[in-house]
Amino acid sequence: MAPPRTYRCEALTLKKAPLAEADLLVTLFTRDRGKLRAVARGARRVSSKLMGHLEPLTLVRLSLAQGRNLDHINQAQVIDGFADLKQDLNATTKGLYLAELLDGFGSEASPNPPLYQLAGEVLKTIGQDPDSDWPLRFFELQLLNLSGLMPELYRCLECRKTLTPANHQFSPPLGGAVCSNCRPVEAQIRPLSLRCLKVLRLLHRGPLSQVMDLKADGALAYELKSVLGTTVGYWLDKEVRSTSFLEQLNRESTAGVYT
Amino acid sequence: MTNDHMPSAAPSLARLIQELSKLPGIGPKSAQRLAYFIIRLPQDEAYALADAVSGVKQNIVFCQECQNLADASPCSICADHRRNRQVLCVVEEPLDVLALERARCYRGMYHVLHGVISPINGVGPEQLKLKELLDRLANEEVTELVIATNATLEGEATAMYINRHLPRPGIKVSHLARGLPVGGSLEYTDEVTLSRAFQGRQEL
Repeated sequence: MAPPRTYRCEALTLKKAPLAEADLLVTLFTRDRGKLRAVARGARRVSSKLMGHLEPLTLVRLSLAQGRNLDHINQAQVIDGFADLKQDLNATTKGLYLAELLDGFGSEASPNPPLYQLAGEVLKTIGQDPDSDWPLRFFELQLLNLSGLMPELYRCLECRKTLTPANHQFSPPLGGAVCSNCRPVEAQIRPLSLRCLKVLRLLHRGPLSQVMDLKADGALAYELKSVLGTTVGYWLDKEVRSTSFLEQLNRESTAGVYT
Repeated sequence: MTNDHMPSAAPSLARLIQELSKLPGIGPKSAQRLAYFIIRLPQDEAYALADAVSGVKQNIVFCQECQNLADASPCSICADHRRNRQVLCVVEEPLDVLALERARCYRGMYHVLHGVISPINGVGPEQLKLKELLDRLANEEVTELVIATNATLEGEATAMYINRHLPRPGIKVSHLARGLPVGGSLEYTDEVTLSRAFQGRQEL
């Protein structure tokens, strides 16, 4: 008996692009199949029953049919539309940054259910507290962790000694912290303050609810964003395009808010 | 066998196929079909097509007021003194102006953004005609701004950005109603649209 040609899955919609006359090409991060690109036929028509269900940053339950190249979305039902997040410009932009990272790190036919769970939790928290930058920092570190790229935060990557409570160094290509005594060559070394190291360990330990209670001043906020941003950028090996608009909004409001 | 021995189209035909295949949605096969169709056209029709292509590049300009594509600046809408200059409707694309004009429901002025803020595609406010919009709002006698961007995530983000950057107080800002399309059914409507439709319900 031939395997069934239709299947169901839960997914977070990451982005959509017009295709042909009235179709949509939707990029999804599914719980059980990893990243998936699928076609929603006729979804750009006002009368389409799929249209409102496939907006980016929506958790949906889908029914799909296997196609020759791309699968086709037959039915879609919203699980969570993150309405709070979509009513705030900062929160929406943060959500799109998260979607861009998921699109970059996710790969097809490689499911990562904890990452799917994490994305939903972080989007919800961004909607509840649009001004806080903690959800994004938590997501960046946990994304690295759940993708098998967790930076080393406890031992020096050069001499393997346990890091002492002092200022050290950080290198994305080497994969984490380097003690202040070691001098690796061509490792894009940058300084790493003790308090930044401590916060990175807290971000690793979680949970997000406890991270949201942390406080950070402007200098620490900038260091955290810079360390995690360069690490994510290094592994992604391409520019994160939503960063520039996110930075613009940050400049227009206040410096990174971690209260 | 090398490519030298492969049969190929005449150079002028190959050039036409190559140019046509640059159009969106046109692959090499479709370009070939279109090229052979053009060859079979009567001469005057083929020249009319070529004339239309060159004419559109020579004559179309951005209207300095609304940024719409037009044959002259100001465009026919901006030059029409019977229209209400105190109301300004912001749309994403020139085609949206045509859609609204077809509906014959609006007699104010327009401003075309030529896109929407889309961070994930690297499109920020600088790539749009947003500065021109904010200049108009600062200098013209506009009292009401109707934001008619699409009801998409990017359209909403653009509307929020405009609302946040209004250059002066005293401008009433609204966006088009969200809700059920004519002919739509509740059963297949998503929760966000339904809740917006409910919020915007009207007395009979």
